[in-house]
Amino acid sequence: MIYGLRHRTTYSYSDSVSFARCVLRLTPRSSASQTVLESSIRVTPRPSMRQERTGAFGAQMVTVMVDRPHDTLVIDARSRVDVHTPPPPDAISSLPWEAVRGLAFENRDIGPEGPANYLYATNRTQLVPRITDYARESLKPGRPIVAAVSELMSRVYRDFRYDPGATEVSTPVWQAFDARHGVCQDFAQIMISGLRGLGVPTAYVSGYLRTIPPEGQPRLEGADATHAWVSVWCGEAAGWVGFDPTNDILAADDHIVLAVGRDYADVAPIDGVILATGAQTLKVEVDVVPEDGT
Amino acid sequence: MATDTSTEPRHGGGRDAPAARRLSAWLKGYRPLPGVPDELFDEHGRPRDRWIAFLGEFAAHTEGAFGIATRHLRDTGASHRVYGEDHEQTWPIDPLPLILDQAEWDEITAGVTQRANLIEAVLQDIYGEGKLVSEGALPAAALAGSPDFLRSMVGAKPAGGRYLQLYAADLGRGPDGRWWVLDDRTQAPSGAGYALQNRLVVSRAYPALYNSMNVHRVAPFFDAFRKGLSEAGDRSDPRICLLTPGPFSQTYFEQAHLARYLGFLLVEGDDLVARDGKVYVRTIAGLKRADVILRRVDADFLDPLELNTSSRLGTPGMLEAIREGGVAVMNMPGSGVMESRALLGFMPQLARRLLGEELKLPNVATWWCGQPRERDLVESTLEDLIVAPAFNTPNPDGGFAGPRLVADMSPDERAAFMRKFADRPGDFVGQDVVRLSTMPVLRDGKLEPAPFVLRVFAAATPDGIKILPGGFCRMSDRTDVRAISMGEGARTADVWVIDEKPVERLTLIPSRDDVKVRRILGHLPSRAADNLFWLGRYIERAEATLRLVRSLCTSLMASEAAIHASGETFDTLRRLLVEWGALDEKTMASSVLEAARASLHDETAWGSVISLVRSAKRTASGMRERLSPDFWALLLELEADLGGDEVLGSEAEALKQVEDALQHLAGLSGLSQENMNRVAGWRFLDMGRRIERGVNICRFTRMLAHDKATLDDLDLLLDLADSQITYRARYLVGLALTPVRDLVMLDPYNTRSLAFQLTTLKDHLSVLPTLQDDGMLEEPSRILLPLATEVETEDARRLDADKTHRWERALMRASGAIADRFFLQGANAVPTVKLVGLA
Repeated sequence: MIYGLRHRTTYSYSDSVSFARCVLRLTPRSSASQTVLESSIRVTPRPSMRQERTGAFGAQMVTVMVDRPHDTLVIDARSRVDVHTPPPPDAISSLPWEAVRGLAFENRDIGPEGPANYLYATNRTQLVPRITDYARESLKPGRPIVAAVSELMSRVYRDFRYDPGATEVSTPVWQAFDARHGVCQDFAQIMISGLRGLGVPTAYVSGYLRTIPPEGQPRLEGADATHAWVSVWCGEAAGWVGFDPTNDILAADDHIVLAVGRDYADVAPIDGVILATGAQTLKVEVDVVPEDGT
Repeated sequence: MATDTSTEPRHGGGRDAPAARRLSAWLKGYRPLPGVPDELFDEHGRPRDRWIAFLGEFAAHTEGAFGIATRHLRDTGASHRVYGEDHEQTWPIDPLPLILDQAEWDEITAGVTQRANLIEAVLQDIYGEGKLVSEGALPAAALAGSPDFLRSMVGAKPAGGRYLQLYAADLGRGPDGRWWVLDDRTQAPSGAGYALQNRLVVSRAYPALYNSMNVHRVAPFFDAFRKGLSEAGDRSDPRICLLTPGPFSQTYFEQAHLARYLGFLLVEGDDLVARDGKVYVRTIAGLKRADVILRRVDADFLDPLELNTSSRLGTPGMLEAIREGGVAVMNMPGSGVMESRALLGFMPQLARRLLGEELKLPNVATWWCGQPRERDLVESTLEDLIVAPAFNTPNPDGGFAGPRLVADMSPDERAAFMRKFADRPGDFVGQDVVRLSTMPVLRDGKLEPAPFVLRVFAAATPDGIKILPGGFCRMSDRTDVRAISMGEGARTADVWVIDEKPVERLTLIPSRDDVKVRRILGHLPSRAADNLFWLGRYIERAEATLRLVRSLCTSLMASEAAIHASGETFDTLRRLLVEWGALDEKTMASSVLEAARASLHDETAWGSVISLVRSAKRTASGMRERLSPDFWALLLELEADLGGDEVLGSEAEALKQVEDALQHLAGLSGLSQENMNRVAGWRFLDMGRRIERGVNICRFTRMLAHDKATLDDLDLLLDLADSQITYRARYLVGLALTPVRDLVMLDPYNTRSLAFQLTTLKDHLSVLPTLQDDGMLEEPSRILLPLATEVETEDARRLDADKTHRWERALMRASGAIADRFFLQGANAVPTVKLVGLA
């Protein structure tokens, strides 16, 4: 399935900003599950400096600097991506989860795909005993990893209420867990905290989800949103498998990956520093358009 | 202790009888701990020669000298801050140094040198080719768990070619008498400045003893260290900065001390700007390149754009500049990964693999439990081990942190630990318990053994690794020395390495003739200019407030001026104190004594003298490396005098205190006039004073020399302007409005007049650097030049309150213009807002 993607971010400042420096992680990455056909990022006003490099977790990062006064900053990222996610490994015949843990700790890959990177607590995704215990109920001794994690995903989907506006990007994982509500990011973090608490390598994935408009209605412009889910390393053979607890499905051709990291901080689409005194507001518009016209 | 204390020391003849008795009592009363080696007594229970040589002399002559030397410490503000506390504490140094002989030191030198080279080689690999991991010598997970393994630095080449410029090893002597490495310090090792400080104190306390014992000097090490750093820059005369987290850091004093001693620019993250792949310092002459940065900021806080986005200590874009090779940051960000305990257990194999050598100094036996075999071993011998976090991960929920002896844990703690260990053994290491040797310390006149840890420093220099001969020694009150940190009542000692032959005396005097003569040390950073300017303003305001309080007190006493106490003059005085925030309305109405007390001592009033002095001190503390120790000492003394809890019983006592404080301030002015180089820094201090004085004199004149002024008013004005004597000498006729106005406002020869302040300000601005390259005037001069001319050409007979007020406002505008032009205006970078919610 080929998608046309548009991710447009607009910062509006109440007072003129003289200087801005931003790191953009807005270029999708080609992998076994997708091929990036085209991508571009356009920044207005025109940056005085622009650099590209590959980030620590494989994402293409663009650094821009704008050093003339401006009161609006627009970052417009567009791409075309061909998604061809391989079928998930068989749930029952996958490795026991403890074996996966053992392999992860022995692993010799420290690069972006290496499971060792995704074993530990981070500032944003702390390991909390009660979340670990919650995950333990699904990760029974000797259980195949895909089956165990699928069940955990289903429980998160059932036990937690989807509630936009209840949490923010900075909401700690235990808070969303205790309140039993949140959005995609909170559910992803709960899965990460619980699984890593037991030593299972789990990554945070940011990206887009194809949305299907209600029957007979046109797709609304800019109505889509960025999405987050998790990817679990299921051993050398099975590799990384995506689980989307917000929708209780395995990631497949409706999921377009933007960036993968240990937590949100590794994949944040935009990190910026500006010289400013006044207030700032942010507007994000996302369009995910399948090319077959549906 | 059953020892042969009759052993006659060989050194220090001519000792008197009381000293000999004291020494004998010290030795008899000394009880080393069973089962651990001691520095003073050897394994046969005999005191070692080098200690007897020291203690004999120490008992005879030098005990009292130490008190004087430590008072110097307090007076100069040598201090550290206990984490989480507001106040700095005076540096806790013990009078006895740790004394090591040459042979032993040679072993330590060889061991630490080898380890520095080994760690450098490991860092080169893990941030370079990555063979250690891909070939299985290091598990990826043993690196990945460290918050200091910076993936964004993989593949980046350090500008100077090295990762470690300064490395420190914490050593302890184990039960077998050998030295062991307990911990590696690779991020931004602290303590070298304290070692320097300890040496200065002790060598000052007993110079003769110090010189007679052939103690290795520390100065050559610091000289080599500085050379090593400057080699890392790509220009011949690189600008070297010491990047500090700021005055609230635990070891700020040490950082300022090092910066001053080594001649580095002390900067905070805000002082730096990264652009075009390079890093610059904001100075009063614009952006100037920072070639080499010795950082004391942990890597995670260095760059809010790429690392910890909540950091206020860093500089956005710094990592990019490092990757581009435009700046050498030492130690290279990412070096901190080597502080992980998880890696300790791998060091012996890594030494064999990378150096082809055995470790010359063993490290404490450590097992990382992320490996099944090691985990099983630790689990089966848990009772005899210390368990510790494998990585330096901040622990948000408190709980288990720091090394613990499993046997010491309460049942609850143990259960909690076992649960975590079962789920995530890779978060932990098990370590052998090393009971550390003891050294003598002096407590309440008695000699006692205390366990200690020795931090040894290694610097990369053009001639290879150099070791600081000596180090930073910390002693503990507790037997569990593994937990020594400066926050826990620990004490420190100087470390003497004794040579058999006299050592070469050398201080920091360059040996070559290639030193370029320079009269100005680079460009003044904007932050320092800002601080100096405000220091000047605070000091001047404190002086003016003291003069107000003095007039308040004398108004009741001086017979001729008794009339002050009645009438409007007195009210004006009190109103000024209220307007300046030195007094509140309520206290103003009470007695003169109460008002004086409050204006001097009320800590809650922002304009009281004590508050102003504290503001001055706070401002000064942000740039201690630029002020002479005498300046700082006077400021501390002034604060102590005013901040004491002594209650002023009478106006006479208040007056005495005011006079004393004014003398202190005169001392500060004298020091800044006579002891500060007439470079930009001094000019900013002086400009602050001049602006403040000019504004004040305008204000006093408006309030006291208005058209309906009384004789009392004029008399008070001359007091406040310190111009009584001049006036009386010049005008025998007595007080009159026009000559008073002329003297305090327009007379260019009176150092207290507005005219004089403006002339001085004009002079300062004319020699400061300009950013304009088109020959146009900058804003401060645009305001001050016409003002100075107007005042110069004014006639006192036409001077009225409106004009005075206009001039006062112009001066305030000039102050703002100076801030805009020279200081860190608008440097408050903020992060962009993050997405509020995701779908």
